[in-house]
Amino acid sequence: MKLYGKLIISVLIVFLLSGCWDRKELSEIKLVSGMAVDRGDDGKYKVTVEALNAAELNSRTSGGYAPALVETIEGETLSEISHQFSQYYAQYLVFSHMKLLVIGEDVARTGMIDFIDYLERNRELRDDFKILIAKDSKASDVLKVTNLYRKSSSLKLSTQLENMFQDWGGDPDMRINDFINDITLEGKEAILNAVVVKGDKKVGATVENMNNVTPEAIVLVDSLGIFDKKKLVGFLPLEDTRVYLWITNKFKNTTLTVQCGEDEYSAVRIIHSSTDVQTKMDGVTPEFNINIKAEGYIEGTQCYKALDKIETFKKYEDLVSKDASEKIKSTVEKLQKEYELDIFGFGEIMRRQHNAQFEKIKNDWNQYFSEAKVNVDFEFILRRTGIRSDSFLDEVEK
Amino acid sequence: MKKFLKKLLSINSKKQIPSNAKPTKAEEIEMKKISFETVKDEIKRIFGNTADLKADDILVGKSEAIIFYLDTVINTDFLKDMLGQTLENPVEQDIRITSEDELRAFGKKAFGVSGYKLINTISEMIETILEGRIAVVIKGVPAALTISFINSEGRTVSEPTTQTVVRGPKDAFVEDISTNINLIRKRIKNHNLQFEKFKVGNETRTSVYVGSVKGVVNDKILEEVQKRIKDINISAIFESANIEELIQDKSATVFPLALNTERPDSVCSALLDGKIAIITDGTPFILLVPAVLTDFFNSSEDNYQNYFMSSFIRMIRYLSFMIGLLMPSAYVGVLTFHPELLPTTLLLSVIAQREGVPFPAVIEVFIMEITFEILREAGVRMPRAVGQTVSIVGALVIGQAAAEAGIISNIMVIIVAITAIANFVFPNYSFANASRLIRFVLIIVASILGLYGVLLVLIFMVAHLSSLRSFGVPYLAPVAPFIVEDQKDVFIRTPIWFQNKRPAYLSPSNTDKQKPQGSPSPPKQTKGGSGS
Repeated sequence: MKLYGKLIISVLIVFLLSGCWDRKELSEIKLVSGMAVDRGDDGKYKVTVEALNAAELNSRTSGGYAPALVETIEGETLSEISHQFSQYYAQYLVFSHMKLLVIGEDVARTGMIDFIDYLERNRELRDDFKILIAKDSKASDVLKVTNLYRKSSSLKLSTQLENMFQDWGGDPDMRINDFINDITLEGKEAILNAVVVKGDKKVGATVENMNNVTPEAIVLVDSLGIFDKKKLVGFLPLEDTRVYLWITNKFKNTTLTVQCGEDEYSAVRIIHSSTDVQTKMDGVTPEFNINIKAEGYIEGTQCYKALDKIETFKKYEDLVSKDASEKIKSTVEKLQKEYELDIFGFGEIMRRQHNAQFEKIKNDWNQYFSEAKVNVDFEFILRRTGIRSDSFLDEVEK
Repeated sequence: MKKFLKKLLSINSKKQIPSNAKPTKAEEIEMKKISFETVKDEIKRIFGNTADLKADDILVGKSEAIIFYLDTVINTDFLKDMLGQTLENPVEQDIRITSEDELRAFGKKAFGVSGYKLINTISEMIETILEGRIAVVIKGVPAALTISFINSEGRTVSEPTTQTVVRGPKDAFVEDISTNINLIRKRIKNHNLQFEKFKVGNETRTSVYVGSVKGVVNDKILEEVQKRIKDINISAIFESANIEELIQDKSATVFPLALNTERPDSVCSALLDGKIAIITDGTPFILLVPAVLTDFFNSSEDNYQNYFMSSFIRMIRYLSFMIGLLMPSAYVGVLTFHPELLPTTLLLSVIAQREGVPFPAVIEVFIMEITFEILREAGVRMPRAVGQTVSIVGALVIGQAAAEAGIISNIMVIIVAITAIANFVFPNYSFANASRLIRFVLIIVASILGLYGVLLVLIFMVAHLSSLRSFGVPYLAPVAPFIVEDQKDVFIRTPIWFQNKRPAYLSPSNTDKQKPQGSPSPPKQTKGGSGS
């Protein structure tokens, strides 16, 4: 009898303490792939969600209708709004597959990013969605552009940004945790990728948009938005995104074009790179030494140099090192002079390397940053020359 | 109270038997106490009016004699020859047998040392007649001569039907027990291989042999097996499964606690590992005890092919066990509770397919799984001639049409198919059946609690498995308790020259299988060429 008593108690514990009763039939749910937050007219926020129309995304069941339903609700909190969407949708919205959060420029500029707390706290949302800024348009417009690849705007953008990040270095790869980190760290300012909607937004929101080889409307990766604390203050060109990745050691691959003669250029693919930043504090001026070691191969050349000679290799290595150093320096300089914002986290590195000194100046860090000395030591090693050594162009010359 | 119940029961049982159908009883009457003239009546009385009992008067040399036999059990052609040549016209034509010694001498001369047997009681005589011998009673001799004329009608040794291999011996056990023992003896030419005979079943008197290799087998386990078989008190034994049910350590389990096989090579290798074979007359399936869980994942073919390949295939078997067990419940659990576990593209495709399916996922799974079980049972029971019909109906009508009609989703058909196929990977059928049952429990729990429930059931299952014993050996051995030396032939199959020890979990009397040796390699070349 005692045994049965224990058994019953343990079974009850197993059932009652589990607390997962979120049973939902698959036919009664709708996946949300993207969310956009704009400034509200009456309420604080205007929240738009892109809810996928699964049958349209499958080539076998597709009937040529819209791939997703995008609807907007206004309110004070995202959490309440996210539960109000039954105003529009028949099915229950599931946010666990959300790929994208688009923040409108007006929201970002006024620093109304307190809604991030909901996104971080919610147990249903994952922490691996990318965060973007919609430049020059409403955030909801970004979600309303159809396209051929996976039809839905946010599904397309999430793949697009990942490839951009991997292939050229045009996306800082900011997820919610990175963004929260950047905002809270002393000695680092946050950044976010910015996209623009190019073309006719009205046509973009229709299925017809997919009928054109060059769509009427398309979302493209545009620039890097930089933040001063919570507020968006400006945009940097894409080139600077690459430099940002380089300095913060998040760099994957890129192709760099260097000038090797008068109106002659060579392209070098850089495939491995590692960055080490050392900070120093001499009196009142901080000093940053950025050491980058990179490896790569020649992807194309217009200079028809003898590529089977070790001198040529050396020449290329010097060219690339010089060019890349200049690029990095100019970007850092721009931030020092124009914005006075340390988006690279030099302060954070200093906090770790020279804590006592940093603690004294941390409140005016950005000012110290703007006056800092920056040295770039770029060491490039050319590994291969593609599947050719000498260019055929040499033969043509002769 | 108990006594009263017993009394009541005994009265009832007595009443149930009508007086004219009262079973007769062979008494321990000695042959000398009964006269030659009354023997015939006595035997006939005991057998009643069965049609196949024959009792003929013959002459053996010059002596009067009666011959008793069941003409349905013996080989009557042989009998005719023997009657004419050996009994009625013996070498010494005018022989007259008057004493037991003379009868023994005659039997030896006529049938050889092993051909005859002398018996002294009526009950023995009844038993020998039932076994397929003929009994000759000679006037004035207080003993009967019995000669074996058994008609061994039955299948010849053929290929195994349930445990087939690509490479390996192609013979399988048959129903006849002496053929089966012959198949084992042919493979192990060792005097330590011994068989002990038991008669089991109060009505059937089925022969059961317990085989083991002395010096290898653990004597305590052997004693326990013998004791349990002796203790069996049941009316009939028709298959080794009956015995399995009566001797297993725990009956409230779906897992088989004895390994059954129809392959002589499996039996032989198990015997040499220290296991015990229980051979039942009338069935080709031989029981091997003690059995542990990992035995059911091993096929004898594992030892006949490259050990890398065997190890890989074993991994596949364990994997397919998990697939067969968990696939449908994981489907239900993930789709109704944890859609976030699937990649977005896959989930979208599943949602698109399930659009318009009228049932919840769990009902869908149940419909398909039950349908599959029905098809499978039909496939086993149906007459061979309608086999094709069933497979066409099953595959086309139910699989394809149901999906096309939108009653079930395409992905469900895939799930059921992979589950079904994964279930057929097992070298042993009885274990596959266990996972079949648990699968349904898992589906129900998954529909209520999701993957959390699936894990709970798995935890209960493992707890249950670790509570099981097969003749005192833990069912999960050698994994729990973990025995390092035994891992050479559990999840991976190491080379046979590396497996020098017998499984320690069987605690064999002699743990060494062979002398430790290295990998076979070509002889080392001596410097300066070979020869000198």
